[in-house]
Amino acid sequence: MHSRTLWLLGAGLLTLAGAVFAVETQGLAEATPSGVNPNPVHLYRPQIGPLSAMAQLGKAIFFDASLSSSGALSCASCHSPDQAYGPPNDGPVMLGGANLSRQGARAVPSLTYLERHPNFSIGPEKADDDNVMDLAQMAALGQQAVRTTKTAGGTGASANIVPQGGLFWDGRADTLQDQALFPLLDPNEMDGGSAEIVADKLRNAPYAPRFIELFGAGVMRNQRLLIAEAMFAVARYQVEEQSFHPYSSKYDDWLEGKAQLSESELRGLQLFNDPDKANCAGCHTSAPSRDGLPPLFTDHQYEALGAPRNAALAGNSDRNHFDLGVCGPHRTDISEQTQYCGMFLTPTLRNSARRQAFFHNGVFKTLEQVLDFYNFRDTNPEKVFPRAADGTVQKYDDLPPKYHANVDVADPPFNRHLGDKPAMTDQDEADIIAFLKTLTDGYKVEN
Amino acid sequence: MKSRFLTTAAIFAAATTLACSIPVLANDFDRDHDGDHRHPHNIHTETPIKHLVVIFNENRSFDHYFATYPHAANPSGSIPFVPKPHTPKVNNLANANLLVNNPNTNSANGTGATDPFRLDRTQANTKSQNHAYTPEQQAVDNGKDDLFPKFTGRGTAGGAGAFGTNGQVMGYFDGNTTTAFWNYAQHFAMSDNAWTDTFGPSTPGALEVVSGQTNGAVSIIGTTSTIADGQGGLTLINDTDPAYDSCSSTSSTVLMTSKNIGDLLNDEHISWGSFMGGFDLTLKNANGTTGCARSTLSTVVGASTADYIPHHAWFQYYKSTANPTHARPSSVHAIGHTYAADHKTLDPANHAYDLDDFYVAVKAGHLPAVSYIKMPAYQDGHAGYSDPLDEQAGNVELINFLQKQPEWRETAVIITYDDSDGWYDHQYLAPKSASYDPTADQVNGPGKCGLGVSQQPAPNGLNGKPVNGRCGPGTRVPFIVVSPYAKTNHVSSNYISQASVVRFIEDNWLHGKRLGGGSFDATTGSIMDLFDFDQDHSHDFRTDALFLDPTAGTVIVSPPDEHHHHH
Repeated sequence: MHSRTLWLLGAGLLTLAGAVFAVETQGLAEATPSGVNPNPVHLYRPQIGPLSAMAQLGKAIFFDASLSSSGALSCASCHSPDQAYGPPNDGPVMLGGANLSRQGARAVPSLTYLERHPNFSIGPEKADDDNVMDLAQMAALGQQAVRTTKTAGGTGASANIVPQGGLFWDGRADTLQDQALFPLLDPNEMDGGSAEIVADKLRNAPYAPRFIELFGAGVMRNQRLLIAEAMFAVARYQVEEQSFHPYSSKYDDWLEGKAQLSESELRGLQLFNDPDKANCAGCHTSAPSRDGLPPLFTDHQYEALGAPRNAALAGNSDRNHFDLGVCGPHRTDISEQTQYCGMFLTPTLRNSARRQAFFHNGVFKTLEQVLDFYNFRDTNPEKVFPRAADGTVQKYDDLPPKYHANVDVADPPFNRHLGDKPAMTDQDEADIIAFLKTLTDGYKVEN
Repeated sequence: MKSRFLTTAAIFAAATTLACSIPVLANDFDRDHDGDHRHPHNIHTETPIKHLVVIFNENRSFDHYFATYPHAANPSGSIPFVPKPHTPKVNNLANANLLVNNPNTNSANGTGATDPFRLDRTQANTKSQNHAYTPEQQAVDNGKDDLFPKFTGRGTAGGAGAFGTNGQVMGYFDGNTTTAFWNYAQHFAMSDNAWTDTFGPSTPGALEVVSGQTNGAVSIIGTTSTIADGQGGLTLINDTDPAYDSCSSTSSTVLMTSKNIGDLLNDEHISWGSFMGGFDLTLKNANGTTGCARSTLSTVVGASTADYIPHHAWFQYYKSTANPTHARPSSVHAIGHTYAADHKTLDPANHAYDLDDFYVAVKAGHLPAVSYIKMPAYQDGHAGYSDPLDEQAGNVELINFLQKQPEWRETAVIITYDDSDGWYDHQYLAPKSASYDPTADQVNGPGKCGLGVSQQPAPNGLNGKPVNGRCGPGTRVPFIVVSPYAKTNHVSSNYISQASVVRFIEDNWLHGKRLGGGSFDATTGSIMDLFDFDQDHSHDFRTDALFLDPTAGTVIVSPPDEHHHHH
């Protein structure tokens, strides 16, 4: 493939990408009755080629269940290729450990669409100088910035003071390589035992000769390097294998003018992008990037939304146990920045219609429940949160009261108040869900 | 390697004679009609080289790119690299037997202790290492070269798909990744003894390659990366943006007060230019970005990065050669010249242009005598936001383009680096340029870079007195010469440094005049050993060209079409 020519082709078409961005931010008021995108664009997808030796090695590791203590779990068990690399069942969390009886701490995120995921950082975008800042310095800078309200099509996101980037619900890993090791060693997940045990299994795996071919014989003597290379290989598989980022949804086709959205789907898209209605696109970016890359449906930032506590999680039987996301307990390096307590990463909404566990604690099982939460959290909280024995509604019952102030009450639709008219009607919610279903990959254009 | 000539004078004598005998058709060079804007072809030079193009890349050590040269691992599915027979041995990790039992397995490196290890082409996107002035000194550990993971091994992360590990600073690429540079080395000449003049990151390197001097800094805004030089002045040891540049930081900027090579070229009316990606603030990139924020997506890194980085902008640090507003040249004819085409008006660009202007000027027959090139950041090679594959694409595209010009037969391209990024390199040189700042200098003990003030005084600074902050040579970096006059498949081991570029310009165009003021141009080595001005060049110039595929770095037979994009 002649990449330079391809690049030029992409560059020429990027100009067009600007057009749909403008259309989208206007809420598609002019959408044609036929349901076709009136300003089609070309989306610039990752290049596809045969898997490199590195990625082939990573694939073998990704599907290797022998790395788990049970012998039954591989990466692919919880990140199912048939479920957009998300959980394969309807549990709030997955079960792992030696007997597959221990609950994981959080709902399993999808591994798709992480190839452009930025590193964890706080505050305004940092200049390209060679001076390295630590998180405390970043947080201090972030505190100086003014928080802007995030609206669909607005420019608030880039200037925000909240953390952004990083993998897991709390951003504690910067790279896919670093991320891959956590579930491998987590006693509640693959429960790999220790670095020694994992390295020993890698040395004796059928794919072991690949390590020597790629990194030299020395890699077998250096346990730390061996594991790093193995995890990088897994990461590289995720980067090269197309099914981790196919951008093959009906919405992608619609952006390119190849598919028609139904009336309900179009209305859903409009509501999704409308700052006065659902305002989903305020965080779940729906427009292609300025480089013509397909939208990721996340701005990679963190939000405290105050989702209800999930009684189905065993850890929650302890009334004093709280999962505070960025400030702990799984992440331990910025727990002193309590303004971030309760914040979790905004996930992509691509393939969300295929999930059965939503939010970090898997408290919601359906998109209907999720939409109800956005719609009623502030206007009719009794529809979302449980009542205490005295009948009072336990709003934000999964956060200690001292952190309730961290919850987002600025970005629509969360700027409403008790008794206000909800942002969405039942039909609105149904239309948004119809639109979310267009974000499922594998769409085939009819006829 | 022993030079075939014994003295520099002999080289000049021989070269000058040859230069006159080279069959060049005058009308090839008659495209410049600017009267007393002298065409470089008509300017006297000591060698046949009438055009020098310096591609100054970012942040790679010699061993990091050539550790196993000329032998690549060639794993299945890779772009294989097959070395030419009789490739000379270079001073690298393989030949020094340092791929195993390396001193950096030293337990003082903690979890980073490791032997060197290969980085695969799929790992081109890596973290960047620590390359500040003091940690680089600590890493060499008084010649033991055994504390790289401890002192320069800390990295910034670099995107979700990046490779990173403890001890990553010990990683090296081979010809399956840096394929183009290995091919250039096979067909042209390379040094395995080229150094940064001082320790430290980008800005000191950018200053050395144009002035051989980091003393004489003046802080304009805020606290800058300078230290007291011990004589009442300042020496720049780390990165700071140039003062008054409209893209510079608003919290920290510096100016330099020494002379640079642009001043000397101006004195002799010899055309020269600085060509930097992103410099033209009037352009709009394909992604809609404008001004100082123009950016380009790297699909290898998976992110966009700003094209223009002020702290790399060599000539912007000097009042005499700055173009702080990024003013545009009055015309393509003025590119390279101090005056506009009317020979009276000062040209607003003052020798500072965009990389796009380089392509435009060359196509119009205006390749200056001396050109300093900085790729747009995503192609400059700096780990973290750039990578060896994007770097290769940018370098190869430029060199392919140059090789198709009639001027190629009397052109030399130098590819070298501003600093090592902190990446491991096994070769140590005891300080030639001493420095005794109590905290910044750490080569052979606290406050020590050198044998001591009495035994080895620090070099003179701008005002003729010994100054601190110039501890060097710093780190060994790649240095490749691509030219019809470069020796073939040759490796020179003569000591050279970034200031050797300045020295070559002075030797070739300025009768050996030096900058003075303590510049390293007077003390560093000569790059003449990389050339053979004795070759017969009467044959088709295309046999002196090596066209490469910009993506794969492999040899291609015919010159490719031009793909350089203009915004």
